[in-house]
Amino acid sequence: MANKKLQQAVNEFNQVMKPVSLWADAWKRLRKNKMALISLFIVSIYILVSLFAPILTSAGVLIDYRKQVITNASLPPSFRPAGELVVKKIEARIASLEQRAKEKAAEQSSFGSFFNFGATDQTQPNSTAPSKPSDQGDTSAFSFTYQGEGFSGNTTDPVVRELLSQKETLEKVKAELNTNPDYKIVYILGTDDLGRDMFARIIYGGRISIAIGIVGTLTAALVGILIGAISGYVGGWLDNLLMRFVDIMYGLPYMLIVIIIMAMIGEKARGSFVVLFVAIALVSWLTISRVVRGQIISLKNSEFVEAARSMGASSWRIIFRHLLPNTLGVIIVFSTLMMPSFIMNESFLSFLGLGVSAPDASWGTLVSEGVRAMESYAWQLLGPGIAMTIFLFCMNFLGDGLRDALDPQSKNRT
Amino acid sequence: MARYFIRRALSLIPTLFIVITLSFFLIRLAPGGPFARERDVPEAILQNLMKRYHMDEPLFKQYLRYMGDIVRWDFGPSYRYRDLTVNEIIDRGLPVSMSLGVISLVLAAVGGVAVGIISALNQNKWQDYVAVSIAVIGISVPLFVMGPVLQLIFGMKLKILPIGQWISTNGLKAVILPALTLSFPYFAYIARLSRASILEVLRSDYIRTARAKGLKESVVVWKHVLKGALLPVVTYLGPAFSGIVVGSIVIESVFLVPGIGRPFVQSALNRDYTLIMAEVVVYSIILIIANLVVDLIYGLLDPRISYK
Repeated sequence: MANKKLQQAVNEFNQVMKPVSLWADAWKRLRKNKMALISLFIVSIYILVSLFAPILTSAGVLIDYRKQVITNASLPPSFRPAGELVVKKIEARIASLEQRAKEKAAEQSSFGSFFNFGATDQTQPNSTAPSKPSDQGDTSAFSFTYQGEGFSGNTTDPVVRELLSQKETLEKVKAELNTNPDYKIVYILGTDDLGRDMFARIIYGGRISIAIGIVGTLTAALVGILIGAISGYVGGWLDNLLMRFVDIMYGLPYMLIVIIIMAMIGEKARGSFVVLFVAIALVSWLTISRVVRGQIISLKNSEFVEAARSMGASSWRIIFRHLLPNTLGVIIVFSTLMMPSFIMNESFLSFLGLGVSAPDASWGTLVSEGVRAMESYAWQLLGPGIAMTIFLFCMNFLGDGLRDALDPQSKNRT
Repeated sequence: MARYFIRRALSLIPTLFIVITLSFFLIRLAPGGPFARERDVPEAILQNLMKRYHMDEPLFKQYLRYMGDIVRWDFGPSYRYRDLTVNEIIDRGLPVSMSLGVISLVLAAVGGVAVGIISALNQNKWQDYVAVSIAVIGISVPLFVMGPVLQLIFGMKLKILPIGQWISTNGLKAVILPALTLSFPYFAYIARLSRASILEVLRSDYIRTARAKGLKESVVVWKHVLKGALLPVVTYLGPAFSGIVVGSIVIESVFLVPGIGRPFVQSALNRDYTLIMAEVVVYSIILIIANLVVDLIYGLLDPRISYK
């Protein structure tokens, strides 16, 4: 009995304490940050959808982003099938044309009555107003308007001519509404001016933008880590040389240089956007290299490095096995915050026509196409713009959250 | 101070030299010259063209000639705009671009600091939440999305502001949208930055001392807090101005502002060698001088920094 009690008491002190690693600790802190978690979730969705977009397309969930259906051009976002929207669109066009024809006719009749008092052949052209067997009510109302106004020469008038052809297409569309599969497609984010699905285009544009963001960040991080680690660990003249070089590079207006590089390599080479990765990555490793160098310098004289060295570890082993893992937190934070700026820079170039070129499209290309059509078809600008903004927003939040989680003393909490 | 200034000013020269050399060779090494598109031009005329622009000389000689020209601030004739010299294009656009840039920087700095103060003094109240949300949105929305959306709302739907052009055609109203768009990301960042640093300073010992002395809250905020808290903001003005200068390239394209940004993109696309080079030189000088000015202001504000 006493023995048992003693054992219990010992056990209380002998409990195995699970060591809390930096990562577990960081995750615990990150979990408390609701916005960062939501952002992580949204970013994951973006990346998953981008990864599996080709599978989604072949499974029929997504419409092929290259499929052009000219009849379905520039439809607004909606959950209803395309056919209904096409009918609505043509009807709206007809209404506005009728309005214009009426105004014109009114103008002309007052004009005509002033000059052509005796003209009697004005009733004759009224027969040109078509009377289609189907849709009787609509057409008769239409021809009635013209009879009333005494309109002359209306077959040559562009407004009337377009009105007639629009009416014809309306009939055709209505007839095909249930047979043509193109009219059954649902475009939830609308279509562009070639009748391509905006939703699919945004996803595929995101694929390219996110890919450029990830690959660019990785390249920049690798170069930055390598140069920063060597510079910090070796020190001396090499450190001096490398850091002077970094200083000079910092002084260069790097976006200008990227613009020049992109302009110089020409249209053809630009198509393979590997060049774009390299062009942006080559000039953005500077910050990471400085940060890594600083971290390594502060760590390289610590006891655990001494211990490793005393056991005969090589410099490379010390750098890669002992020093770099300790700087990983900072690297991750910087990379997360670098990715949105990569995506923004890539889109910036694409927007100017210097980035990704057709047939590929990134978010920047989509936005610049949307700008051209924004007056009448605002969704072509808003769709890609909002999709891109949400992603950048979440990446920024996630980066901030990671910084707070990995660096509890961070002063940049906002 | 004066010696420091002179030394810094002199250190601009090597940086500029590197920028010019790098861009010169990058441009010349690329395949395809400025006349590559005019395929129908007979050989003899092409030869004459090359001769006219000294492009038949060895590359190094061209480089030396170009360096000499730049020192004399002569950028030569444009290869594309046949009846304009590059100097004319720059002279025409630079005042416009500079005024757009300076207006945006002032907007960003003044607005950002004001919002930062309001949100820091009302931490965790609604003003704070509104300010922080605006700041994060501002950092995430790209310029070329923001610009067209503002054009759409204020220019096309509400029809209260012109959607483009500049003062000469549309009056002072033409400045509002481009300057707002261009300054917004930096406004947002400065707001965040000043909020964070004001909050930090508010917790510091010397503020506690100031309050303990019985100073009025307004005196504490305006005389003690702001002086310490604005330093990080001033450091950020350099990068902010560089960002505004680069961003103005896009903004000038979106809002059709007749500055030097649009000719830059055009020249890069057209391989207008002299114009690209001139733009790079001008932009680099602006950026480098901006950084220098910020360094000097920093020294004036922070007595702990001494220039030797």
